[in-house]
Amino acid sequence: MADVTQSVSVFEQIRLVAGLRWLILRNSLRKKNNRLDLIGLIFTGVFSGILVAGLCFAFYAGGYYFVSRGRPERIALLFWGIFLFWQLFPVFVAGFGANFEFRTLLRFPLRLHVFYAIGLAYGFADFSALASVCWLLAMTAGATAAKPGVLPAMLLIVGVFMLLNVTIERLIGSWLERLLSRRRTRELFLGLFVISMVSLNFIAPLTQRYGASARPVFLRLMPYFAWLPPSLAGHALAAMVRLQPAAFLLSFALLLLYLILFSGLLWRRFAAQYRGEELSETAAPARAATRTIQVKHDGPDRLSLLSPQVAAIVRKEFRYLTRNSFAYLSLLLPPMLILIFSMNLGAWHLSRGGKAVSPDLFFPGMMAYLILILMAPAYNSFAYEGRGIQTYFTAPLRFRDVLLGKNLLLLSVLSLEIVLSMAMLLWRVGLPTARMFVATCAAIIFTVVGQLTIANWSSITFPRKMEFGKMHGQRQSGMAVLVAFGAQILMGTISATILFTGNWTGNLWLPAEAFIFLAAAAVAGYFASLDALTKLAENKKESLIEALCR
Amino acid sequence: MPDIAIQTQKLTRRFGNLTAVDGIDLQVTAGQFFGFLGPNGAGKSTTIKILTGLLAPTSGSMQLLGMDFAANPVDVKRQIGVVPEGMGLFERLTGAEYLKFVGRMYSLDRATTKRRSEELLEFMQLADRPKTLIADYSHGMQKKLALAAAVIHGPRILFLDEPFEGVDALAAGALKALLARMTERGTTIFLTSHVLEIVERLCSHVAIIHKGRLVAQGSLEELRAGIAGEAGSKTTLEQIFLSIVGQDGTERPQLEELSWLT
Repeated sequence: MADVTQSVSVFEQIRLVAGLRWLILRNSLRKKNNRLDLIGLIFTGVFSGILVAGLCFAFYAGGYYFVSRGRPERIALLFWGIFLFWQLFPVFVAGFGANFEFRTLLRFPLRLHVFYAIGLAYGFADFSALASVCWLLAMTAGATAAKPGVLPAMLLIVGVFMLLNVTIERLIGSWLERLLSRRRTRELFLGLFVISMVSLNFIAPLTQRYGASARPVFLRLMPYFAWLPPSLAGHALAAMVRLQPAAFLLSFALLLLYLILFSGLLWRRFAAQYRGEELSETAAPARAATRTIQVKHDGPDRLSLLSPQVAAIVRKEFRYLTRNSFAYLSLLLPPMLILIFSMNLGAWHLSRGGKAVSPDLFFPGMMAYLILILMAPAYNSFAYEGRGIQTYFTAPLRFRDVLLGKNLLLLSVLSLEIVLSMAMLLWRVGLPTARMFVATCAAIIFTVVGQLTIANWSSITFPRKMEFGKMHGQRQSGMAVLVAFGAQILMGTISATILFTGNWTGNLWLPAEAFIFLAAAAVAGYFASLDALTKLAENKKESLIEALCR
Repeated sequence: MPDIAIQTQKLTRRFGNLTAVDGIDLQVTAGQFFGFLGPNGAGKSTTIKILTGLLAPTSGSMQLLGMDFAANPVDVKRQIGVVPEGMGLFERLTGAEYLKFVGRMYSLDRATTKRRSEELLEFMQLADRPKTLIADYSHGMQKKLALAAAVIHGPRILFLDEPFEGVDALAAGALKALLARMTERGTTIFLTSHVLEIVERLCSHVAIIHKGRLVAQGSLEELRAGIAGEAGSKTTLEQIFLSIVGQDGTERPQLEELSWLT
């Protein structure tokens, strides 16, 4: 029999979990990078603290204003603000992954009710929950300052509202954990999240165009919101201020009903986890294969012009691109951004009675922006190789083939993006003049190929492993970011100077000629660099493998 | 005189103050099934990494199939297959895609690559999951795939770092049979494993590394004969290993300190 003689209390177990988290944090500080992260965290914490404190004043003032001015039902708006923040903020950071898996606690002898209690306690330790609790207390203080008699009711309502919020937040978190445990959904979630964030830019032009017609629809939906928890909390308080006990009891009972309902649902989720719900997607051992080999002909090799090694790497890179939902979806971003910019800038000019943006200005500007976005991953191009990087060093090939394969695919993607973006520009703004078109195309070759040489060097020298569909802990190497930043500023400055030189000198074809010369020099420099980079990769292979196989 | 597949002279690798591999002189004859043993942290994986080009030696030299590795890395790599520590798989490919990728990296033509990939997937019992990504394979399946990739080009030397770890008994049996057939056809296999019974059953020759130094090398019979006072031909590899590596007593578990468990 095990030497365990007495069970540990819930509080002791919560204390143990808190201690464990502290040890994880303390031990992580042994590494320099993590110490720098902590400094960043402290800065973020201070700024977040200032934000939370500032909003505490706002909620205090809001609570005081609505109660003292005889409009207590408006306090529902404050409850709505807190409710949305409490529930949505953790969803937005869920894609970034949890750094501590709460479920791992299940290996210890915990009872279900203890597991549930620890789960709720954990919910209160989130930033969103801490901030929301501060705001609710500030609101309570404000309402009490306006009318001291509402304090007991306010405390009751706020207490239930807090419990309800933490329960819903844990429920959503638990479902998200289940959803995001699947690699594919995790990546899709992340991609959709990024797209939806970018799509927020459409709100301004869409509101301008369709705002008036959407208003009646919104007003028709308003009564239904009254039955939701934040409105009920606001109504309960308003009823108490107006001394309507029946209305208070009805709203409060409904709020309690929500709490019971969501607690039941959360209990079911936690019980499923407690019973050992399997979230892993690891395959079971394969059964014996009985299928016969089907001979299928691949047809002619579309990459026959390339060496077998380079062609194999291009194919592998393409497959990696298509399987990285985040990268795949992010390819939609450049045309989308051009649409957003053309809509916003067009609206800005038209609202001031001006003309739409000049294509001669818009075209090079947008292409520069596009290159800025699409070239960024090239500075850490081995990020997703993982342990596969070893294959490049055990296979009989020169490292220049690896660089060539990777660069070729990036160039293909860039070309496709540029064509798509040009089509979008043609539709929205119109094509630029021939001289500007030629100058910009040559400038694209110059900046892209020039950057590729630097980016290859950066990828070998400052590698940092990254994982598909994860953003938490997915930081680029600081030096790689610095190199990328410096290279892009350098290329951008050279390009802008040359473009403006044409206008200053009056020789409108000068930029085109200069960029053609620079593009040829960049291409020659690129090929000349490949052998040197191969030697560098051989010298750096240990650090490269170590960084990516971690 | 038999052909020498692997030969090293004073091969040394240092990591700062730590000497992981300390001047080892290895000699492996072509066609041997060679077991490379040692306790945890002895330098086995470091040696395999050096021999396969994943790590540069601090000093010393090595020849594989008579070719100097440093002078002809690409030619040497064409002749060897590797299952490195951690397997070195591209996890976002399917098994078939990975094998095709590796086949092309070794310059096999497309038709041969395709045929061999399919045969290897069938043999390794991985063919019934054609769309499953390697990331979603179990550990044992990944191990089998790594081995398939290591042999797709028909290497003359095969380096295997813990090849049977996590592989089920059925698959392990098939793999052992495959490896035995390969040695019969002249392939040299250089294997590390913690499971001494496997090494004893498969390998004809063994080397033992301890704290970076080569402390024994030879056929099993030679090693048995070298242990004085033991029961001659009945001595197991485990006894040989313990008598060589456990001599300084540092590896002996201190059971008396865990009296509450026993």
